[in-house]
Amino acid sequence: MALTGRAGLLAALAAVAVLLAPRPGLALAGAGLVLLAFILTDLALAGGVRPLRFERGGDRLVRLGQTATVELVATNPGRRRVRGVLRDAWPPSAGAAPRQLVLDVPPGESRRLAVTLSPTRRGDRESVKVTVRSLGPLGVAARQGSHEVPWSVRVLPPFLSRKHLPARLARLRELEGRHPALVRGQGTEFDSLREYVYGDDVRSIDWRATARRHDVVVRTWRPERDRRLLIVLDTGRTSAGRVGTAPVPPAGTPEHAMPPGWPRLDWSMDAALLLAALAARAGDRVDFLAYDRAVRAWVSGASRTELLSSLVNVMAPIEAELVEADSAGMVAAVLARAKRRCLVVVLSDLNAASLEEGLLPLLPQLSSRHLVLLAAVSDPRVAAMAAGRGTAERVYDAAAAERLMAGRRAITARLRRHGVEVVDAPPEDIAPALADAYLALKAAGRL
Amino acid sequence: MTATSPTVRSIWRGGRGPLLVGLIVLAVAVGGVLLAGIGGGGRSLDPGDSTLAGSSGLAELLRHEGVRVERVTSADAAARAATAGSLLLVTDLSFLRQDEVDRLAGLPGDRLLIGPGAMHPSLAPGLAPLSGTEDTARVRSREPECALPAAVQAGSAYMGGYSLRGPPGAIGCYPADGRPTLVSYQRDGRTITAVGDGQFLTNLRLTEDGNAALGASLAGTRPTLVWLTAPETLPELPGPEGKSFTELMPAGVSWAVIQLVIAVALVAFWRGRRLGPVVAERLPVVVRAAETVEGRGRLYRARRARDRAAAALRAGALHRLMPRLGLVADSGHDAIITAIAVRTGQDAGQVGTALYGGPPADDAGLVALAAYLDTLERQVRDS
Repeated sequence: MALTGRAGLLAALAAVAVLLAPRPGLALAGAGLVLLAFILTDLALAGGVRPLRFERGGDRLVRLGQTATVELVATNPGRRRVRGVLRDAWPPSAGAAPRQLVLDVPPGESRRLAVTLSPTRRGDRESVKVTVRSLGPLGVAARQGSHEVPWSVRVLPPFLSRKHLPARLARLRELEGRHPALVRGQGTEFDSLREYVYGDDVRSIDWRATARRHDVVVRTWRPERDRRLLIVLDTGRTSAGRVGTAPVPPAGTPEHAMPPGWPRLDWSMDAALLLAALAARAGDRVDFLAYDRAVRAWVSGASRTELLSSLVNVMAPIEAELVEADSAGMVAAVLARAKRRCLVVVLSDLNAASLEEGLLPLLPQLSSRHLVLLAAVSDPRVAAMAAGRGTAERVYDAAAAERLMAGRRAITARLRRHGVEVVDAPPEDIAPALADAYLALKAAGRL
Repeated sequence: MTATSPTVRSIWRGGRGPLLVGLIVLAVAVGGVLLAGIGGGGRSLDPGDSTLAGSSGLAELLRHEGVRVERVTSADAAARAATAGSLLLVTDLSFLRQDEVDRLAGLPGDRLLIGPGAMHPSLAPGLAPLSGTEDTARVRSREPECALPAAVQAGSAYMGGYSLRGPPGAIGCYPADGRPTLVSYQRDGRTITAVGDGQFLTNLRLTEDGNAALGASLAGTRPTLVWLTAPETLPELPGPEGKSFTELMPAGVSWAVIQLVIAVALVAFWRGRRLGPVVAERLPVVVRAAETVEGRGRLYRARRARDRAAAALRAGALHRLMPRLGLVADSGHDAIITAIAVRTGQDAGQVGTALYGGPPADDAGLVALAAYLDTLERQVRDS
């Protein structure tokens, strides 16, 4: 049960009556009885909450930064009208609105209610309970009860870097020789023979075929297709650090309470999605592995059209684990899964200490069989700190930042000596930088 | 059915255990209080009070010695009981009005004033007025050091409190810091005895030292002892026409207050009843990646690690300068310094000190070094 403000107001008014009444004791008792009678009447005549039936429908998936609508159909099988308020309880980060819905269901009828979710972070959001407060006819007291109506909405990574995809696809087409300007394909794999058209590079004329066919025939080249790409996402503790500014800030967050950026993990996911989209269009096979001390996610053999959706689906619930990543286990997992030579893209951090102890000693195992590319998100705040001057405080901070940057440079140099490609870019640039690195490798025929 | 609200039966099932425990606790508490009897917290120096703070022990002792102990709680009763052959014992005057105190002062017989609450100029004429806490001495066992027979007989007693100064001719006993805490003197044919503290008369202290003997000697000098003590309930202060504040209030007010309390309770229930549960959520950790760098910066600052800070800044500057100068990392120091000096027109010695010199002497030197390195970088970039 629940009371309304009217009950309190009536009791307060009764206090005035008691004060002025000639027999205040009797007046007090009378007021109490009247109030009790009102409350009991309301409780008795309010529509029942327990027999209500609920059904849900609506969105199951939503990209972070967009809004989902979840519908709730309330059916009233009872004999009394259910009039009051309803709250569909969701976790705070689901951003459910409005907080309360007005409910008015006549007996035997149904009403459709809609809750809008604007999630503030990735992951699965489950509804908790539906609570109904059914007011009595006098509006003094209400019946209250809850129902469990399960529904979950998966909040997918936003894939913000898809704005970079058209430019990269254009470069890809250029590489494949399908560019309108008839530039000779830069690939190294023989594609087909076709008739010479005006403007073709004369160096690509295949004289042997020309002699056979009594027509000038050119060879076309294209980059290798059907190469393998394995994207490895490090979900260990280094991926929890927040960098940059969150591109999807929680709605209504005041400036000072803004979360300090996005986790490295989310930036890495963004870059992985752009790379996967590009590689799928380029005709390569893309596999995905998320690993810290165990396999968090594994996507293999997805078709070109399904790749992106299955990737965002498995990425959605992944959170950074606050444990040191197990590099040996990761290398073993990669070697067990990638039987044939492939490009292994490791999305991690260029943390000198953890790399020296973890990945560096194991790199030969990996790089002897595969081409390894390590992509890391750098912290723009460190760069800003390195430029700090003026006071001793800021200069000391700048020195600390310089030291970290020198450490990153040193580890980058060591990795390159091991034959590992390294992409180190600030959060906003990591996705296009990784895509460009991939295109460069493809153009060079190193895949 | 999807309803999850508790039914009456489930509330009873879940709540009966805690309810039973609560009832047992309540029963034990009520029973304990009833068995212990409704005794107030001890009434200090009350002859009818048998707690540690009371003085029933002394009263009993005096009765044994044949003294009639009259316990009175008002000036009227004291006036009725007092005769020329009686002793008036006063421990507290705070519950009496001025005219009642004056009436006490007019009563015949000796007086025994115990504690600062009983010292009133009209009851103890000639006694020096007490002032401030600097006259308070610690209450402890003290020697009499005087010729008063009662004190000599009793020996050491638990005395202290307010130090007193009697009129000329008074006997002062139990001195604390040289000032007596018991003063006895004659005035207008009666003996007036004043004691700075009354703890030696309480049941707690009566058996220690010579407390009982001193108390009995002081209070038992006359066949009748009129013991004035505070009444259990103070009389209500009468207003105009003899009516107190509550009598002047309309009868409805107290009932209306009850009704207001009910109203507040209802409003509290209205506001306090939540619509649905509080939803808890497992949140990801929020940690800025730059925190370790900031921590290192603060460590440098705390330890004044100018050597390390300068080395880091120089290494960073050199890393950015090298490609612009067309040099590689293993070029000699001299080659680098010369190249920079030529490009920027700066003094080679100064450039050398900035890039390869010792650590700065103080923080200002470090700041200046950082600024100079910036200048070099900018000049090399712009040249």
